[in-house]
Amino acid sequence: MSRVIFLDGSSLPDRDIIGGKAWSVARMRSLGLRVPPAFVIPVDECRRYHDAGRKFDDELWNDVLSGVRAIEEATGRRLGDAASPLLVSVRSGAAVSMPGMMDTVLNLGITDEVESGLAQQTGDTKYARETHARFCHQFGDIVLKADLDPYVAGPTADEVRALVLDDVGESIPDDPYAQLRAAISAVFDSWESARARSYRKHWGISEIGGTAVTVQAMVFGNLGEGSGTGVLFTRNPLNGDPTPYGEWLPGGQGDDVVGGTHAVLQLNALLEKMPAVHTELLSWANTLEQENREVQDVEFTVEQGRLYLLQTRTAKRSPDAAVRIAVDLVNEGLITEDMAVQRVTAEQVDTVLLPHISAETAASAKVLVSGEPACPGVACGIGVVDPDETERRAQAGEDIVLVRPTTSPNDVHGMIASVAVVTDLGGSTSHAAVVTRALGRPSVVGVGDGAAMSMAGKLLTVDGGAGKVYEGRLPLIATEVDEHPTLRTLSAWASERCAITVVHEFAGSVVDLDADRSAVDAETGKIDVEKLTALLTGAEAAKGGVLNSPEGAQAIMASGITTIVAPRRLPIQLRLIQQ
Amino acid sequence: MSDLDFLALHGLAVRKHGGPATVASLLGADEAAVGVALEGAVANGYAAGAKGIFMVAPAGQAYLAEQYPVVFADARGDEAFVNSYERFEKVNVDLLTLMTDWQTMPAGGGRVSNDHSDVDYDQGIIDRLGSLHERAERVIGKAADAQPRVGRYLVRLEEAYDKVLAGDRDYVSGVRVDSYHTVWFELHEDLLRMLGRTRQE
Repeated sequence: MSRVIFLDGSSLPDRDIIGGKAWSVARMRSLGLRVPPAFVIPVDECRRYHDAGRKFDDELWNDVLSGVRAIEEATGRRLGDAASPLLVSVRSGAAVSMPGMMDTVLNLGITDEVESGLAQQTGDTKYARETHARFCHQFGDIVLKADLDPYVAGPTADEVRALVLDDVGESIPDDPYAQLRAAISAVFDSWESARARSYRKHWGISEIGGTAVTVQAMVFGNLGEGSGTGVLFTRNPLNGDPTPYGEWLPGGQGDDVVGGTHAVLQLNALLEKMPAVHTELLSWANTLEQENREVQDVEFTVEQGRLYLLQTRTAKRSPDAAVRIAVDLVNEGLITEDMAVQRVTAEQVDTVLLPHISAETAASAKVLVSGEPACPGVACGIGVVDPDETERRAQAGEDIVLVRPTTSPNDVHGMIASVAVVTDLGGSTSHAAVVTRALGRPSVVGVGDGAAMSMAGKLLTVDGGAGKVYEGRLPLIATEVDEHPTLRTLSAWASERCAITVVHEFAGSVVDLDADRSAVDAETGKIDVEKLTALLTGAEAAKGGVLNSPEGAQAIMASGITTIVAPRRLPIQLRLIQQ
Repeated sequence: MSDLDFLALHGLAVRKHGGPATVASLLGADEAAVGVALEGAVANGYAAGAKGIFMVAPAGQAYLAEQYPVVFADARGDEAFVNSYERFEKVNVDLLTLMTDWQTMPAGGGRVSNDHSDVDYDQGIIDRLGSLHERAERVIGKAADAQPRVGRYLVRLEEAYDKVLAGDRDYVSGVRVDSYHTVWFELHEDLLRMLGRTRQE
């Protein structure tokens, strides 16, 4: 019996045995979906490798070679064959993902001869050259541990090889089988890397386990007409609309879509060119959504008219979409009401309920400056340049917008005190952006040199999501749960499931935690659950912003209090249900 | 003024305000000695303090601005140190991208705030933080060869990274704690002050 497992979908081994990646491949195959052929070296081989002093025996190597042959038969390509080359990816796959484990090596199997073969078949010399150079960089970096700067297109494979040789004194093998053997060993070795070990120690994860190694054929989206690559969301991830949404890049390969290096088309372009593939894609994506009972983000490649699924994941979505999708999935019978109230988080509901500027208001308002949106949200206040003045006036009860040329650690106290932040310089990844997002302060950055000073002393409305600063105080629209088509439904489900009464007003005595801040550390803002529980215990009812937090929910449950007074019911109910 | 008197004021300026313990931690110096130095700065009119929390007074800011070119003349003339600072700026770009990826996540064509419900996504970022930390060790290590005090930031970054690994998410980019970003931001400020550079963002 072979010690490697060919992932043809005929069986679905346990995730602990083959790792998450291989499991996902096997599952898609078992659902009858086409995935690039792959085999996995299971977790127990990692232990055996280390027990033998970081060596794998001939028997295992022979089984790996049989695995490669099975992939060759399935694809009609051969490892190292310039006329019809097989390239593979090698990935680690522990049952639990952890830091320090080896990253993926892609395009393994490329050599000088294969490079010229690929150039001929794709008609794209540049692609072949870059694939080779990128492989050498990745192999040098990940397998041979050379200290290389991040990859930038340009150098040839030979130039990268020379850098690697210079740094580690080892060459990148030109034999595909030697490449494969070294990459597999590197995956096993990474289980014992310092970072992985310290992580396991931190979390008490057994040292006895190991990582699996998945070897999978690469498919090509750049083999002329009828090839390409793309992503498909089974529902719109921005508004939750139940129609598939996606991007398609004809002739694109690998990271081209994600990397944003090529202009991408909407999915309709695939429908026009290859209707059969389009139909198959939608049907497969639907199968995955039905199976996973959750909206999916599917990566796919079409190689000469044949559709392959590369990966499927739960799709990331906006808070609006999260609410809509949870309610829709219940209505479609895919999930239960219980699951829906577990899936939507209090933070998502809070975000949907944030006050916003209506389109009509925005259209007629005067835009003072615009820049990059750094942290969403809307706030009004007086523009102040000096952070000390911001802190002083905010403590006196004024709403202040901190307007700065740039921000340094010296401004952080002013940012904490402000209701919003605007900076002249910097992009969406500046220090100012990072700090305001951590604080949840609406912010706009990079509005232009000298703009901050021009806004000092003015009344401003900052829209951090749109990246605009308006003159004056604009009227804001607050969304109400009971007026919102899907929140209303979700709220009804939550009310039925929450044992604690959450009301807007209460006639009896109410402990006011906005007034008594003794459970909150003044410097760090951390909430002490035990102190908070003590404050709540025996009380008839309580109110305060601190209750709409994970610690608040813990304290409510621990204290036995039965009534909470809050301006908004749903976020607190969800927190309590999700305890 | 002694070296520590100056450095205590400099450390206070980097942090904006704080007590002897936080300034001593930033400098890697003795807390009691830093306390004495800060009291001295108050007596000179360079700092103001109440209840053990100090901040640099305008006179102190002026004094620092005047002293930096003198005190850090060696650092400014040291090619190896300036080079490692240039490398730091490169890593800084990646660090800020990583922080943004931690705080927000892609959704369709846009990005939404990361609610930290996707364990795999977060783990991927923490893993990247580990790789970035290894790069930081090399770059900051070289800077510390030239200016040993800078090595103190590496210790603090390591502490933040350890807390993240131990599951305390606030230590990635939290503002009110000595998170990885907080310490990094202070290091950036310290280097800019040492070298007399202006902030680009």
